[in-house]
Amino acid sequence: MSIASPYVDPALYDVIHQKVRDDIPFYVDLARQAEGSVLELGCGTGRVLLPALEAGVAIEGLDLEGAMLDALRSKARARGLTARVYRGDMRDFTMPGRYRLITIPFRAFLHLLSTEEQLQALRCIRDHLEPSGTLAFNVFYPSAEVIKADESVRKLAIDVPHPVTGHRVVVYDMNHYDVPAQAITVEREIVEHDDRGPARATNVGFALRWVYRFELELLLATAGFDDVRIFGGFDRRPLERDTDEMVVLARRT
Amino acid sequence: MTALPSPYDDGAAYDLALERFEEDLPFWLEEARQARGPVLEVTCGTGRILLHLLASGIDVDGVDLHPQMLERLEAKAVARGLKPRVSRGDMRDFTTPRRYARVFIPFNGFAHCENTADQLACLQCCHEHLEPGGALVIDMSYPGLDYWLDTREARVLEIETPHPETGDPVRMWDTRRKDRVGQMQHSLIEIEELDGAGQVARLHRFETRQRWVYRFELELLFRAAGFRRWRILGGWDRRPFAKDTDSMISFAWKDG
Repeated sequence: MSIASPYVDPALYDVIHQKVRDDIPFYVDLARQAEGSVLELGCGTGRVLLPALEAGVAIEGLDLEGAMLDALRSKARARGLTARVYRGDMRDFTMPGRYRLITIPFRAFLHLLSTEEQLQALRCIRDHLEPSGTLAFNVFYPSAEVIKADESVRKLAIDVPHPVTGHRVVVYDMNHYDVPAQAITVEREIVEHDDRGPARATNVGFALRWVYRFELELLLATAGFDDVRIFGGFDRRPLERDTDEMVVLARRT
Repeated sequence: MTALPSPYDDGAAYDLALERFEEDLPFWLEEARQARGPVLEVTCGTGRILLHLLASGIDVDGVDLHPQMLERLEAKAVARGLKPRVSRGDMRDFTTPRRYARVFIPFNGFAHCENTADQLACLQCCHEHLEPGGALVIDMSYPGLDYWLDTREARVLEIETPHPETGDPVRMWDTRRKDRVGQMQHSLIEIEELDGAGQVARLHRFETRQRWVYRFELELLFRAAGFRRWRILGGWDRRPFAKDTDSMISFAWKDG
């Protein structure tokens, strides 16, 4: 049995991620300050890209999933914006332009499942940056407590109202961890309620590969980046705890 | 607070607690026999492994940073009628006149490279000292979930072993502070020599730090240091590295 990707139903994707907003000011501010063209990898339905576009940034987007890009384009049209977004693989993409800033928001870097894939993507990004251009992305730091508590336990991950109907949409995740392989397999059930209760369930699945701090620094150095800064959050506080989000800035060497 | 000495400043006290650790000896002896060429042990200390290899007829040299450890190694060698070739050197920047079929860094010695720059310098130096086709072999504990989640600040009894002369207990305690994102452990090491009544007759206190390394991080370090092929096993019995309670026994080959 093949498990559906979480990106085949963009409308449902947008419903369950409606509360993820804390990264938007960070990426939009960076894009504004870049004073040049910006590329967002894994732009999806435009959760971050559209606010940047609205802020007047010359931003383009890339995503592997055509359905997500279609959703982004129609949202852009509804807001009177023109989105320049393209289908492409962050491990191997070719764009005609070069960028001051390339971003990978919302942990999309973790879809790269091996060191080879990570290096391919980073080298491809490096080749698309102007000299001394910046790469910015965020990934979670793997917390020992979270992994231990989560292992193969079905847990309620998200519980939000549907923006149109107001009915509950509930996400249950079961995470399987392979700690030495730094691999997570997520089995996700998305349950949409109606007046009477649970009405429709959608099952999706995905795999992530986490990275540690010094590993990430080595990946960036190996791929041709320097001046690497790894913060512990979007407010640029120091990385101190293993529950922090790693917010990464690196410069093309 | 005055910093305490390193456990490697007192070879005699170190040996009281650790000299009779033998579980890894068969592994290193087999590796040395299969080397078909000279072997270098980096962080050879008081010779727990090196003297065992030498007594078994292996052509082995040693390097260690700490003169007190090497003096103790030499004295033990004399008592056993062995002639070791060991020299003082920093694992990040040592020079020996020979090149080796194998370079060994046993028993978490690599954890004393406390940052990425030191790790790279050490691996590059080991790479330089290998013959073409030779291999570096590193034994490191893996920092798994249970390790990080054990946040006891209390002293943990690491080893209890009889004193070689009196037979009374010798205990080694480790009080650990851990930095998860820094991948560091700070240890207060206390070695107690007990008397016949069970009272502490002598107490040796040391401090040391260790920097842990994850699997893919180590592979990236190998790559950056010039190695192009490596393999990681999970223990001295050569099981695959599969669980976070395994050790990492890593082999990195220099191109032939």
